[in-house]
Parts: sequence; C-alpha cells; structure tokens
Amino acid sequence: MRTQLSIGIVGVLLLAAAATPVRGQNGAVRPLERLPDGQPNVQGVWGPVNGGSLSLTNPVPQAADFDKSIKPLPSRIIDPPDGKPPYQPWAAALQKQQNHYYAYPMRPEHIDTQHRCMLSGVPRLFTGIPSLRIFQTNGQIVLVWDTYHAYRVIPLDGRPHVAPNVKLYMGDSRGRWEGNTLIVDTRSVKGQRLTYIGDFYSENAQIMERFTWTDADNFTYEATITDPTVFTRPWTMRVAERRRPNEEMWESACYEGMTDPNKYLLKNAPPPPTQ
Amino acid sequence: MWLRLSRSTFALLVVLLVCAPLAAAQAPPSAIPRTPDGKPNFSGIWQALTTASWDIQDHGAQKGVPGGPGIVVGNEIPYQPAALARKKQNYAARATEDPVAKCYLPGIPRLVYMPHPFQIVQTPNELMMLFEFVHAVRFVFLSGQHPPGPIEWWLGDSRGRWEGDTLVVDAVHFNDQTWFDNAGNFHSEALHLVERFTFLDADHVQYDVRVEDPKVFTRPWDMRVILYRRKEPNAQLYDYECYAFDYEKYYPYPEMRTPQ
Repeated sequence: MRTQLSIGIVGVLLLAAAATPVRGQNGAVRPLERLPDGQPNVQGVWGPVNGGSLSLTNPVPQAADFDKSIKPLPSRIIDPPDGKPPYQPWAAALQKQQNHYYAYPMRPEHIDTQHRCMLSGVPRLFTGIPSLRIFQTNGQIVLVWDTYHAYRVIPLDGRPHVAPNVKLYMGDSRGRWEGNTLIVDTRSVKGQRLTYIGDFYSENAQIMERFTWTDADNFTYEATITDPTVFTRPWTMRVAERRRPNEEMWESACYEGMTDPNKYLLKNAPPPPTQ
Repeated sequence: MWLRLSRSTFALLVVLLVCAPLAAAQAPPSAIPRTPDGKPNFSGIWQALTTASWDIQDHGAQKGVPGGPGIVVGNEIPYQPAALARKKQNYAARATEDPVAKCYLPGIPRLVYMPHPFQIVQTPNELMMLFEFVHAVRFVFLSGQHPPGPIEWWLGDSRGRWEGDTLVVDAVHFNDQTWFDNAGNFHSEALHLVERFTFLDADHVQYDVRVEDPKVFTRPWDMRVILYRRKEPNAQLYDYECYAFDYEKYYPYPEMRTPQ
C-alpha cells in the first residue's frame, strides 16, 4: 500500500497546485493565428486549468482542504443541469460499489486502470494533470500526452471509421473544423473508467468532442457521451484547457510491468455500502 | 597484376569493398518528398518487412518463428566473451525473459523493425515516431543536446541532424532492460546508437544503425533495414496494448459484459 499511498499524496499536492487560481501572464489576450492552409494554429503544449481525474462531479476537492478560501469547483458535467452522470439504475449501483472498492480493493477489477498504467482513453486524459501536445500536419491533428505513452491521430479528410467491431484504447476519431472549433467524432472505444470514484462508460459509447479555441492560449474541451448501455440520456462534460510552456516531452514509461498492481489487493476490507 | 598493388592501394580496396554495402543508394533529390522548408519529409506510416524482431541474425524457422535473413551487416555480432555467454543464456530463456514477452517497452532500434507499423509526424523541430506496439511514443529532437546523464530511459534520448538528405540520429541514455530481438541479443545501459534514415525513393527508407556498447561488444557493429511506406488507402494505426491484454478480463466491469 505504501506506493499507492505515496501516489495519492503526490496527487493531492499536484491537484492543490493545479487548483490555485492562475492569473494571466501579463493580462494580454493573444489572438488565434492561422496556418497556411487556413486552419487555426493550435499547436503547442496544453493542460487543464484544474487538473484531476478523481471525480467529474466534484473535481479537485482536495484544494479546499488545504485552503478554506478556495470554493469547491462546479461539476465538470454541464448537461444534465444537476451535474451528475445520468446512470441507469444498475450502472449507478455499480459506480457506487466501485467508489467503495477503490479505497478497499479486494479483486483485480477494483484497481483503477490508471494504477495499472493502462490507457485512460477519451475523455479522461483531458481531465488529468499531465500535459497534452498538439501537432497539425498532413491533414491530421495529432495529440500526444506526457504520460502512459498515449497519443491520438485524428484524420481531417473525412475518411470512414474503422469497423464497429474494432475496439481501440484511444477510440477511432474523425475530425473537422467549424470556425475555431474542432469537432471530433470518436467511436470504437473500449469500455473505460472516467474517474477514480468509479464512473464509467461501456464499449458502446460514442463521443462527440468539441475543442473550442477562444484565443491563442485557451480552449474549452467538451465531450458529449452517448451510451445507451449505461446512461439514460447523452451527457456533456467540459474542461477548460490552457497553454503551457513549450517544453520537450521526455519519456514517461509508467510501470512497464515492473510493478504488480495486484499487490494493492487487500485480504480484508469493510463491507460495501448497502444499495 | 593485382599482386603488385601497393599495400595502401590494397587497403583502400578493402575499405571500399567493406563499405560499399553500407553506402545508401540514395534517391535523387527530386524524388524525395519534402516539407515546406525543403527537408526530406518522413511523415507517413512505415513498416519494416523483416523477421529481425525474432532474430537479428540469419535464422531458420521454428514453430511460431518465421525464418529469414538477419539485418546485422556481416551477420556476426562482436560480443565480448562474457557477454556471449549471457546471450546464450538469454536465448535459452527467451520464451519468458524476452522483455517484449513481458510487454516492456521494446527499446530502440527493435521498435523500428518489429512487425507492427509506426507513424512518423515531422515538424521543423522534431520527428515523432508513434508506434502501434503499446502506443510507444519516441521523440527525435532536431535541436538541443542530450541532457546530462545518467538517465536510463527505455527509448533513450534522441537528437537528430541533417547530413544532406539523410536524417542522422544520435541516441543515448538507454536502460539495460531491452533486447535487440527475441533471440537474446542484448546491450547494457552504455548503449549508443547512430541511426541514419535515407530515402531510396519516395516510399522506401533505408534505416542504418550503428551500435556501440563498450560493456558488451568488442567494437561497433551495424544493422540495416528497409522501411516500407504503408500505401493502402486510409491506412491508419490500430493499437496493440500488450500488457493490457491480461487485464481485459477485468475491464470494463465484468458486469457490463451482460448489459442489464
């Protein structure tokens, strides 16, 4: 458990740092530039203003524990209006159960996929603290994250999706620009966890992503998730993303199988909450 | 007549004969795809057609292992005696001890010639190599120096420069956890690679890599592989998340396999 605890502590500190209000560098708003082919130039390094994938409904709760002047952030979920994932009853019960077992892992599936260094997929990686780098070349948008050796190549040429039976950890994405908004249709996902507290979607999910640039240094990421297996209706989450320093990305290899997450498993744990 | 050649002329001939296979038959400049700034443009999806990931030396087939010619120039690897013994131990234990069998990042150069495609994304500042195998990402920076070590990375630190139309990559800061192939050919953390990417024509790239590791080998040695552009319409990478396969029985939630 020592490793897990230390990861948790580091995570809390990073979350607290990420939640600290950041003032503009010099207050100036830089307008969005254009590439020679007319696309907005959105290349560079980006990250969430408030990073953390603990929870969608209560993002970055730890910051308020350190500094009482910090108000809890609103839910990342902007639709439905109550800010909660519209689970079907069976799925709500499962999320609640998984939330409990996250702290008391008894079975392999209780361990969060991020602790196994598995790819977190779409949209979870947009909520995490590690940086995201965007490249625009050859009729495609390429996204590379600073962890998990995660990347996405998003064609902009309107080519067809892969067959629906193919499931990919980062999904299969096709993009197009509408003004300063990049719209990405992502299908063929694996069933994924969305947070440490057990939120999830199934492999039947389809995700419509909207990256909207307001200026050269800020964009809003929105993901509308449609998954009739798990939810009663489509729902939408939003994360504000901001430009970060243009630094080299160095190798981040996670565990590479060198650490067995199953060592986290407990022989005894409190019973799950009644449902 | 040739017996009368001076010693120096003979030496020159030997050098020419030995080096001739290493000289790339580079494409004429007009045949090379180029970026707006005039550099050779390696962007695209590439794949080596070779059995070298099983064995970088000439090898016959075994069950599950396709036979084929190796990629080591001259076929011999100049191991130090102790290292050769270790290589033989590795070979005997390859079914379980091959780092790729354990789904570790395979290291460089093995990622380049594994039987999975990879995509190069090129900008004026760097080349990114996106590998299908475990979503590995390798940056080749076209500026800056190797950071001061010691650093032990799976894929090393790669700094590229242009020599004419050839991309030359100097790579150091490796760990000692990866093998060159499934046959147990290995290196230490002192590995130093000099890689050369040369267009043969618009769709073929010759990949030469010089291997130096004074802890394992008696002298530098070379490998050569041809990379083929994947030209199928709508070619794209899928994924091969090696270590995830064992966990897929747990995720997503087992209960989700039978929707309520």
